[in-house]
Amino acid sequence: MNVLPVLEEFAAQCNQNERLRKMNRDWSRLIELVATDRNVTYWLRSEQGLITAGMGDVDEADLKISASEDILQEVFSGAVTPTEPYNAGDLLVKGHQDDLMRLDIITLLIWGE
Amino acid sequence: MASSRDFKRVLPLRTAVSTSAGLASAAINFLACVEIAEYAGGSSAWLALLVAGILIVFAGANFSELNGMYPSSAAIRVWTRRGINDTWSLVMSFVYATTVIFVIAADAFVLGHVFQAALPAIPGLIWIVVLLALVTAVNLRGIRIAGIVQDTNGFLLLATLVIFSLIVLFHAHVPLPAARLFHIGPNWFQAVAVGVFIYVGFEWVTPLAEEFEDSRVIPRGMFIALGLIAVGFGLFSLALTVVFPAASVLKHSLVPQLVLGMRALGPLGFWWMVVVSLTTAMTTFNGGMATASRFVYALARERVLPAKMARLNSYLVPQTALLTLAGGSLGLAIIVYLTGQYVFLINAGAAVESFMYAATAIVVWNLRRREPKTARPFRSWGVPGMSWIIAVVFTLLGIGSLLAPSGEHGFPGPFVFLVLLTMGAYFYVRHVVPKLRASKRSPQRVAPKL
Repeated sequence: MNVLPVLEEFAAQCNQNERLRKMNRDWSRLIELVATDRNVTYWLRSEQGLITAGMGDVDEADLKISASEDILQEVFSGAVTPTEPYNAGDLLVKGHQDDLMRLDIITLLIWGE
Repeated sequence: MASSRDFKRVLPLRTAVSTSAGLASAAINFLACVEIAEYAGGSSAWLALLVAGILIVFAGANFSELNGMYPSSAAIRVWTRRGINDTWSLVMSFVYATTVIFVIAADAFVLGHVFQAALPAIPGLIWIVVLLALVTAVNLRGIRIAGIVQDTNGFLLLATLVIFSLIVLFHAHVPLPAARLFHIGPNWFQAVAVGVFIYVGFEWVTPLAEEFEDSRVIPRGMFIALGLIAVGFGLFSLALTVVFPAASVLKHSLVPQLVLGMRALGPLGFWWMVVVSLTTAMTTFNGGMATASRFVYALARERVLPAKMARLNSYLVPQTALLTLAGGSLGLAIIVYLTGQYVFLINAGAAVESFMYAATAIVVWNLRRREPKTARPFRSWGVPGMSWIIAVVFTLLGIGSLLAPSGEHGFPGPFVFLVLLTMGAYFYVRHVVPKLRASKRSPQRVAPKL
């Protein structure tokens, strides 16, 4: 299963949301997403308020998120909040906590509580 | 193909040490040292602190193994969930989080008395309300004390304690026979039990694990910090008990650090200690509120606390969570200030931590069986034999702390409080959490600061 379409849809929803665009305009980050069960890497890039998604290795990521592909799909499709697998230890992160919090807030603003 | 690459921001060992030492160095520790001296029966307080510290090294090893397996800011929530079960993980998380409120309230109590001693014209209660309100307002605007200030304060406090204590010890000209230094009083076990409180918070560096590239840095940082705390507060306790052989004399001053400062350097030492107490308490307030409010936010996002706890203000700060914590801390601080029962907070806090250290020993053992293949950058020592010894020792220390003589009538307030808190948390997890988890999502109402 490929997570890329889910990430692209996630990016599109962010970009359509004017509040998110303004909120993220100063938040320039490269986020690496590793599907641990398939050893595949994806990425999300936030730049000038716009989010883009892609597949493949990245250098010098600000935030690295590791989880199974199913969990990545559930998180970025809004089926679960990122916090749920995170608090279960099924989603691991490397990077600054403020960036992790920001990502959670983005999903909060898109899909609600 | 996934591979490990460099990150733009990597925290160094210095930050691991300073965070661990800084979070453990609360202003209430000064009063805890007096309490330890009282239980120890005099100058052997330093020894009780040292014994507590050695035991906590084993707890630190357990935290290190768990942190290496699951480096997460949700730390204890993740480990206990995987190592025990979800229900008890939540109960323990709720109870553990209350220690933050204990420490903030206790530091507010200390700070109120410090300022009352320094500026008697203004009642301490006013200082408590003003300073807690100030920190809450700063946190609500999303401003956090710069890391370097927080980092520096831990070292500043410990260096101050070492230097001032040595000055006092060298000038005291009081003979220190081994009989005094190693005197074991009738309540020495309680002295060790409360000694645990001095180190409370050393493990709160583990939630920063995600910000360290090399997860082995955190164990190193914690162990160095434990040594620094033992030296700093051990010398402070020794100096106090040398100058005041009867610890009960100090109990009523409520500002032993100011007394020591005055003895060391006169008015300069007094005011230096006022400043150090202020910075210590303010960093405790700020760090405690920021960390705890995020923890509450995360639990709300996990749908185990009401959704309103995840509400953000225009600065993207979980304001309901923050205000609830601030209100709880202020209420508790006022009650303690008016009743003077600060020992309640110390004993209850020491007990909660001791029980958590016991639980982490069991979690390490359980995870070795449940997840033998999970990578462990750090392996704790002597599992399972040592795990059980540590679990039993810390359980006994927790009970000892709860039942330690406190209050005039000997009523075991901390014991009753902790039992009620645990029962309340268990009832909540069993009966309220399932309803919250079943509830549907609703749109978030937030207006980000643009």
